[in-house]
Amino acid sequence: MGFGAIGAAVGEGYTAAQANAALSRDPENAGGIFKSMLVGQAIAESASIFALVVAMILLFSDFSNGSYVTVAALFGAGLAMGFGAIGSGVGSGFPAGAACVGLARQPAISGKLTTNMLIGSAVCQTPSIFAMVTAFILLFSDFSQSPVNPTWAAVLGAGLASGLGAIGSGIGGGSVAEASSEGVARQPGALTTVTNVMLLGQAITQTPAILALLVSFILIFKSYPATGAIAPAMALLASGLCMGIGAIGPGIGEGIASSGGVRWIARNSSIAGDLTRTMLVGMAVAESTAIYSMVIALVLIFVV
Amino acid sequence: MEELGRIHQLIIPLMGHKLTFNLEVILMTWIVIALLIVFGFLASRKKAILPGPLQVLGELFVAQLFGLTEEALGKKMGRTYAPLICSLFMFLLLSDWLGIIPHLEEPTKDLNTPLGLGLMGFFIAHYAGIKSKGFKEYAREYFQPIFFMMPLNLIGELAKVVSISFRLFGNIMGGSIIILVVSHLTYSVILPPFLNAFFGLFVGAIQAFVFTMLTLVYISVQVK
Repeated sequence: MGFGAIGAAVGEGYTAAQANAALSRDPENAGGIFKSMLVGQAIAESASIFALVVAMILLFSDFSNGSYVTVAALFGAGLAMGFGAIGSGVGSGFPAGAACVGLARQPAISGKLTTNMLIGSAVCQTPSIFAMVTAFILLFSDFSQSPVNPTWAAVLGAGLASGLGAIGSGIGGGSVAEASSEGVARQPGALTTVTNVMLLGQAITQTPAILALLVSFILIFKSYPATGAIAPAMALLASGLCMGIGAIGPGIGEGIASSGGVRWIARNSSIAGDLTRTMLVGMAVAESTAIYSMVIALVLIFVV
Repeated sequence: MEELGRIHQLIIPLMGHKLTFNLEVILMTWIVIALLIVFGFLASRKKAILPGPLQVLGELFVAQLFGLTEEALGKKMGRTYAPLICSLFMFLLLSDWLGIIPHLEEPTKDLNTPLGLGLMGFFIAHYAGIKSKGFKEYAREYFQPIFFMMPLNLIGELAKVVSISFRLFGNIMGGSIIILVVSHLTYSVILPPFLNAFFGLFVGAIQAFVFTMLTLVYISVQVK
């Protein structure tokens, strides 16, 4: 919850700052910019609302018969949701800010701009939704049959993987949506092309978060033999960390590649096909580090 | 809250293996297929120059998706793959929207459905790649840029299937969990219709479109 609030606060702060910049450019349209800022902030906040829901369940549930594994699972759920909300919170702030600036430039297309921004920031929430799925599975699964020693590390690792893994994709998806809002404000005629490419770019930007989700599913649902040694448990924890931290960079990087693509398609939409292909190749290469992390994480789970 | 994660399964032992059927998912998929067939029949039954509302809807789907496919694959191949893309989108859209009707569930909420569709797209894309470039050229791409990158390129291809199916599954599953939990916390006052509209209709439509577009892009990357 705490981490989730950080992200939402950064995102909203960014939106408000951009709104102020927009206001100083075009004081006439203060009402419209203000409205757009509020809508954008409401969406940026929804990631922290997910975190709030998880925190509420953690606070009000009855865990009197919890074993150590349950405690670890609850802690993992909190970590997943807290970290997971950072990226989406920061990310959804970007399109909202760009939409405010765009509105100051071109007040006539406020409808189109708002729709584009809403789609962009809704897709931005996806990484935090993935983190939330993990958090809920950790909260409501029954771990009482599994042995305490490796399982505690597995559930903690699962929480860390999907929580940290969602940060990069959230921020990256946000920068794609920002580029698209900016592009629509520049060239309202290219709305359909820009929105399509934005959705494509955001979807691929989410890949690191999805790989992290996969690793945490494997960590949660694999059954482990009971052991007294500490090394297998640490391997599971490390695989979660490896996947989670490894997914941050590619998430942001793919977001940058894709936001470049979207921005230039908005300027020169006649070569959208070529630009999209270049963008996809660049993203595929940027993604390879996330795939390396996944390979290492899977080796840590299945081999060590 | 108890219905979270409960699945009705039919397990048939066959020659030492256990065949498992998720009954609800199969039933819901059949409902979607039946609705689509009825829609297709009604939309094309009375074709007229002045179209009825259903014909307009059908034409809208077909024209838009044919346009997108031809843009990505070119005129000739576009005609081959457009029916696939078109029916994929309509199936996914209806699947994602089915959950807003009480007592019905999204077939896409079960990982098996998106994974099956993702595998289908994967095989079709590679078939198209081999068919258009020839096997030699197709195989050579795995050894780019250097030969020892081959295993990583292979894993990268497999990661595409994982990411496309988990994206759809995670979004629909996450949406339905949020609807269930928030409705439970607020005793189903005021909020559920808005949550259903956002996660069911809006996110469902976006994800159906994203899945379709990605399948199309995977085909076009293999072909080019």
